[in-house]
Amino acid sequence: MAHDDHKPGFFKRWFMSTNHKDIGTLYIILSIIAAIIGGAMSWYIRLELMEPGIQYIDDFQFYNVLVTAHGFLMVFFVVMPAMIGGFGNWFVPLMIGAPDMAFPRLNNISFWLLAAALILLVIAGLTGGGPGTGWTVYPPLSSAEYHPGPAVDLGILSLHLAGASSILGAANFITTILNMRAPGMTIHRMPLFVWAILVTAFLLLLALPVLAGALTMLLTDRNFGTSFFIVEGGGDPLLWQHLFWFFGHPEVYIIILPAFGIISQIVSTFSKKPIFGYLGMAYAMCAIGVVGFVVWAHHMYMTGLDVDTRAYFTAATLVIAVPTGVKIFSWLATMWGGSIDFKTPMLYAFGFIWLFVVGGVTGVTLANAGMDTVFHDTYFVVAHFHYVMAIAAIFAMFGGFYYWIGKMCGRQYNEGLAKIQFWIFFIGVNVLFFPQHFSGMAGMPRRIPDYPDAYAGWNYVSSIGAFITMAGTFLFLWIAYRTVTSGEKIGANPWGEGATTLEWTVDSPAPFHTHEVLPDMTGKAPAE
Amino acid sequence: MVTTVTAGNLTVRNRRVGLMLALGVVAMVGLAYASVPLYQLFCQITGYGGTPKVGVVVEKATGAAAERVMTVMLDANVNKGLDWEFKPQVSKIKMPLGEETLAFYIARNLSDVAITGTATYNVTPFKAAEYVSKIECFCFTEQRLEAGEEMPMPVSFYIDPEIMNDPNTKDLENIVLSYTFFPSRKTASVETKDDNS
Repeated sequence: MAHDDHKPGFFKRWFMSTNHKDIGTLYIILSIIAAIIGGAMSWYIRLELMEPGIQYIDDFQFYNVLVTAHGFLMVFFVVMPAMIGGFGNWFVPLMIGAPDMAFPRLNNISFWLLAAALILLVIAGLTGGGPGTGWTVYPPLSSAEYHPGPAVDLGILSLHLAGASSILGAANFITTILNMRAPGMTIHRMPLFVWAILVTAFLLLLALPVLAGALTMLLTDRNFGTSFFIVEGGGDPLLWQHLFWFFGHPEVYIIILPAFGIISQIVSTFSKKPIFGYLGMAYAMCAIGVVGFVVWAHHMYMTGLDVDTRAYFTAATLVIAVPTGVKIFSWLATMWGGSIDFKTPMLYAFGFIWLFVVGGVTGVTLANAGMDTVFHDTYFVVAHFHYVMAIAAIFAMFGGFYYWIGKMCGRQYNEGLAKIQFWIFFIGVNVLFFPQHFSGMAGMPRRIPDYPDAYAGWNYVSSIGAFITMAGTFLFLWIAYRTVTSGEKIGANPWGEGATTLEWTVDSPAPFHTHEVLPDMTGKAPAE
Repeated sequence: MVTTVTAGNLTVRNRRVGLMLALGVVAMVGLAYASVPLYQLFCQITGYGGTPKVGVVVEKATGAAAERVMTVMLDANVNKGLDWEFKPQVSKIKMPLGEETLAFYIARNLSDVAITGTATYNVTPFKAAEYVSKIECFCFTEQRLEAGEEMPMPVSFYIDPEIMNDPNTKDLENIVLSYTFFPSRKTASVETKDDNS
């Protein structure tokens, strides 16, 4: 099988790319850049919060801008580009035996729209005080009255571009997965990572247009005299919250479903067993996607919903624990009796399961409207969502990076250093976020730069955790740099018998063109 | 067996799926906008989020509900952008269920120019809102006050005796009826030159 490895020149290759692997690489680079900016913001926030009183940030609007930008960056420019744009672009075509994505030029537009969105967001942050609205952009705080000037408008346009980028990408993934699977690669034989991306793409396609509509309403409210969310004009700010969370709740599954996919591949590979309950795993993701659309008001228990509405949203939210439980127990059952190889990706998979379970347990707590009345807008919520989606997603990204970097660049990472990096990061994030449960239960509110002395102890511990995490991040950047420049060269399949998916059948690094002769999967077992 | 997929055939199928997905996106944007009138309709019908009902036929209370008296506290607020004074004539009224009752607020323009304002309203606790119906209210239209003018603002409303049959609301003894006046967005609220207040 002769691979055509002819590559175009530098500018044409990287700026006009239609190659799924190169675009995937671009997404991963963008994600790393955004992660450094967003991470630096969080370390600055923790530095301020290390002690009561005001140490570094005496401009409170600037503090709000930091919190807002940290959220936007991490959600739209770090996790989504890395997992969907990066690993999705790289490995969905490879895993289903397709030569490329269905719409390669659309793929290029998706990436550059996101790059433009990132630039707009940075400009928004530097304009007239910046957008200090929180990532939820609730009116009336985000209205022209409380945020005059163009900062919020620029932020809205940035989200519009990022949303358009994701919608185009999602349409591309769905078309690719539905139409371009290799012969014999039936829907029920697809690797679980492909399943995860398929479900995620549908969520993106249904949720992001609602955000786009709501953002447009906010934009016209601010600039063109409409009053969708303005009380005195007959609008209702609560409508924003309904629309935002109709997007926002599926959004957290958009972040975590690809992580589920990556973890499934890793657990199977390093347990040297097919995934336990493959169909259950696939349809658990579908169920999470569907239920995710009918639970949005659990973010709004404090807005005066009547008791029956709160009862419904509590019950519906608790139901999500069932398919997520199916996933957790299936991973454990996959490991059970397996010949487990504790390579770094597997350590990250273990770390992911721990973080996701802790965050899931506090999620069940918060799902109860009665409990949420006490915990709403406290650090308990901050601890919960950082465990369950933020840090869990980052762990899946690190795991995916170590798992696939050999395939992407043809060189293997340093196992010893990577294991040290895992332990530093794992200890760091737990020291960082676990104490926030305690300060939150004691009543420490979110989004404030100062707090009463009573909360000093756990905040200090939390900030120490942030600095350990920072060390882990820089060690990761060093490992990534060393891997790409001088890592050990590897063959097609460095992981051995456990790695059964199609990406391990092509050379490392994956040639510029792959699967030009479609692999025949007829009669083969499910990929995982 | 290898199924042969010609490139042209695949392109057509890809475009078909892509087009259907694009329609899905357009439909979801449409749904976001459709939610605006649907949401308002929903609030008015159900009293959701403290939106009182408007223009309902008064039903006389019968039985136990006829003897029940509800204390209604009248609350008044003015947006900081509006140079008015606005307060209820009395802060508290006791009213029988199922009986149309008239209450008065008083608004006064403190500035030396004519200003048009508009009032928003809600009922607390929110769960009581579906039983509070307004027959006539100053908040249904915009109100224009000349410089220094003072004007009574009447509201005629009634409380549905059904409130006694709802397990969520039958223990209620107090209801707050609240208004907030804003400068009008529809009409130019200040008609002469801005007084730079």
